[in-house]
Amino acid sequence: MAAVHSARWLRVRRGLCLPLTGRRAAICGRAPSSRFYSGSAAVPEVEGAGATGTEEVVIPKKKTWDKVAVLQALASTVHRDATAAPYAFQDDPYLIPTSSMESHSFLLAKKSGENAAKFIINSYPKYFQKDIAEPHIPCFMPEYFEPQIEDISEAALQERIKLRKVKASVDMFDQLLQAGTTVSLETTNSLLDLLCYYGNQEPSTNYNFQQREQAEELEEATEGNNEKPQKAAGHELGVTWRAKNNAERIFALMPEKNAHSYCTMIRGMVKHRAPTQALNLYTELLNNRLRADVHTFNSLIEATAFVVNEKLEEKWNNILDLLKQMVAQNVKPNLQTFNTILKCLRRFHAIGKLPALQTLREMKAIGIEPSLATYHYIIQLFYQHENPSKGSSLIIYDIMNELMGKKFSPKDPDDDMFFQSAMRVCSSLRDLELAYQVHDLLNTGDNRKFIGPDHRRNFYYFKFFGLLCLMEQIDVTLKWYKDLIPSVFFPHSQTLIDLLQALDVANRLELIPQIWKDSKEYGHSFRRDLKEEILMLMARDRHPPEVAFADCAADIKSTYESQDARQTAPSWLASSLNCIAVLFLRAGRTQEAWKMLGLFRKHNKIPGNELLNEFMDSAEASGSPAQAIEIVKLAGAFSLPICESLTQRLMADFTLSQEQKEALGDLTALTSDSDSDSSSDSDNDVGKGK
Amino acid sequence: MAAARLPAFLVLQPRARTLRAFSTSVSPATRSPRPSPSTTERTSKYGRPLRRKALPPRTEKMAVDQDWPSVYPVAAPFKPSVVPLPVRMGYPVKRGVPMAKEGNLELLKIPNFLHLTPVAIKKHCEALKDFCTEWPAALDSDEKCRKHFPIEIDTTGYVSAGPSIRNPKARVVTLRVELSSLNLDDHAKKKLIKLVGDRYCKSTDVLTIKTDRCPLKRQNYDYAMYLLTVLYHESWKTEEWEKKKTEADMEEYVWKDSSSEKNILETLLQIKAAEKNLELSKEELLGTEAVEEYRKSVVSLKNEGDNENTLSQYKESVKRLLNLT
Repeated sequence: MAAVHSARWLRVRRGLCLPLTGRRAAICGRAPSSRFYSGSAAVPEVEGAGATGTEEVVIPKKKTWDKVAVLQALASTVHRDATAAPYAFQDDPYLIPTSSMESHSFLLAKKSGENAAKFIINSYPKYFQKDIAEPHIPCFMPEYFEPQIEDISEAALQERIKLRKVKASVDMFDQLLQAGTTVSLETTNSLLDLLCYYGNQEPSTNYNFQQREQAEELEEATEGNNEKPQKAAGHELGVTWRAKNNAERIFALMPEKNAHSYCTMIRGMVKHRAPTQALNLYTELLNNRLRADVHTFNSLIEATAFVVNEKLEEKWNNILDLLKQMVAQNVKPNLQTFNTILKCLRRFHAIGKLPALQTLREMKAIGIEPSLATYHYIIQLFYQHENPSKGSSLIIYDIMNELMGKKFSPKDPDDDMFFQSAMRVCSSLRDLELAYQVHDLLNTGDNRKFIGPDHRRNFYYFKFFGLLCLMEQIDVTLKWYKDLIPSVFFPHSQTLIDLLQALDVANRLELIPQIWKDSKEYGHSFRRDLKEEILMLMARDRHPPEVAFADCAADIKSTYESQDARQTAPSWLASSLNCIAVLFLRAGRTQEAWKMLGLFRKHNKIPGNELLNEFMDSAEASGSPAQAIEIVKLAGAFSLPICESLTQRLMADFTLSQEQKEALGDLTALTSDSDSDSSSDSDNDVGKGK
Repeated sequence: MAAARLPAFLVLQPRARTLRAFSTSVSPATRSPRPSPSTTERTSKYGRPLRRKALPPRTEKMAVDQDWPSVYPVAAPFKPSVVPLPVRMGYPVKRGVPMAKEGNLELLKIPNFLHLTPVAIKKHCEALKDFCTEWPAALDSDEKCRKHFPIEIDTTGYVSAGPSIRNPKARVVTLRVELSSLNLDDHAKKKLIKLVGDRYCKSTDVLTIKTDRCPLKRQNYDYAMYLLTVLYHESWKTEEWEKKKTEADMEEYVWKDSSSEKNILETLLQIKAAEKNLELSKEELLGTEAVEEYRKSVVSLKNEGDNENTLSQYKESVKRLLNLT
């Protein structure tokens, strides 16, 4: 704990009660002006300035600012460090995660440690009473989860409701009714709130986490199949509303019900997927001449969209009916209303486009600012089935023009899905300018918060970087590569392959060893497609940095071998063997190249024709006929058609000794089953003749 | 969107199941292999998972013209993998060199100011300019500041990392004022100096009051101002018992009514009597130039102490007085 001293000088500005002849110190106490951190200057009091001789000392008014303003100002001087891992991890080469799986598990480990600590503190609160934090930090102190009031009373019921104990509060309520005491309307309403929110089940510890996941899965499921989903998907995921459960029972028992009770019940039913009952309850509400509030209307709109076995136009008409009733009951719609409408329109596919635009216009006419979720729904609606042949709509351009430079604050739980869908559209439209616009929007103000959880962020950057590799110049792409990887996201092997292809197009293949080195760090050493792509690009033509390529090839070979040792399935492909051998030959590493030949035989893969020719060249260069014979033997063993031309070349270019010719003769005799009978015979004669 | 995640997920599943079964049956003495995909990359040929290998330090990836304040934005311990300098520290063994930065505890122990390079400080100052108001144009020299604002207050704030922001040392307030700027006459000044004692520095004529008896800084500040006010008013008042001030209480030597005056008068009278010259009275004797000079030399000798000048002055004046030139 480093202690930093800061000496602060403060000139006293009070006038002392002495007559200072002629001069008067300007009076300025600590009167704070309302100056916050926003950059504009304070107002100095300018009294009659500068008569010659006696000058008035004008003290400007002191500026005030809120508690974090100085920190925010200092924070604006630093930017993101492009080589660093996210700050949540320990900044040590041994402890930085190397893949998205690892980073996920590290963060979960950290969080589980925190949860374990909180659990211990809450289980043994009497050991954690000492409070050294000044000012008091409430979340460091132990929390009490057990209800303290034991007797049967309304206060006990309220306490249990506050502690979110569903079963205990229902029991308490029943006990109160049996004892004969009437429970007040507010308490009953809050009990109904509790039951409807949690769906008559006890909230589990990872309740919120599960809810979000299930909601997303449900969305995906409904996007996949068009009309069938609700019955199939609805009952497996999440909590469903059973008939005659506690909430309905208590509702029926209530002597008087006000609008709040009805509204809570309706919202609970819709949340737990009982739309028809919700609509019935709504009609009951209207019969009792009560009014619903805006949240209830939002739920009802959702309910009408959920109802099965209705045609889309009917559903839309129902929604319009509800909106008219909203106007009649003088309830003002809010952002959630319109977002819910758009969310339901998403399921209407093509028919929903016009109503969606109408909704957006209505929203603007009323003056409600659309949030990112609104635009997300619109994008999803218009770009649902990516079918470029039909011609995509151009609405994304209008949306981006409108959103440029705007800073958003979180208003809707689905706000964090906007960037993902926008980038998906950019990628399918292959428009780089638009992608840059989206990325700029992400970087304005605090919009970075809307990128969403890990998998959404990875998807966004995956698409963005893929588009860059495809469309942008190689230097700019490389700059983005250095900037984004791995500090923002861990690349998928597909990303790296895209990058390699971009390098290929731009003819910058000398960077391949660097890319391979990086990809080893991100845990891609065993991705076969990546390695094959690298080898293929390196071996395709002759390139100057042959030594570097050969080193890289040797590295890849060692990864193959280590993988081999552990797995029984063979991982080599003929093409990779080819490439590695060629690279060794080009770099002049003939020893290792010859070892590769052994590997061909071992893994039973067929060497390519150019490879054999190159081997012949190198054997000729080194002037050893034995090697040349090896090659021919190999070709013969695989019964390759090229064997014959190789043999001819062997005869022509090399001087052979007698045993070698004998061996050669046997070999060619073995392979003479094919059509090259006569030529081999003539070869034999020639050989024997010499 | 889930496609990006799916293959790795599939890879994880089968391994995790087998390894989990293994680790539950294993006794705690043996180390169970860690079920994470990173070990798949770092296993040796022999199938036994080796220790996780470290990445190369990220200094290799840093550009030469990178933005250093972004790498070290706040005070942080020295991280050898982040600082791209080949720093060495430590006492070398015989015929050796100081130790390198990797794993060097000495570099961790000392405070580093990597977050406050001159570039960073310049940027911070630029950002903090918004919080400042302009310096008054009339106060362009130290003397003017001292003239308009004679009292100076020193306070200290403390910042440390921890759950509490309070520090009891922050309540100390020091008040400094030059007595020449206060409206004091001779008696008041002497009385004030006597009242404050050690807190007055004679050479710089500065009164320093340091208060820490109250728990809060503003209380201490109020108390210091109160003390100054009270001292001022009290020093102007004259109490009854002050008339009984004796010579031992005097701060400086005063010639009038002193023993030296008496002595010299007696001496001179005796001289005059010996010369039969009784015309001169006391006042006239005192008024002569020689006696004036003698007075001056005695006063300077008593007040300033013994040094060359004063002693020689005294010698001259005595010689003149006794006509011994």
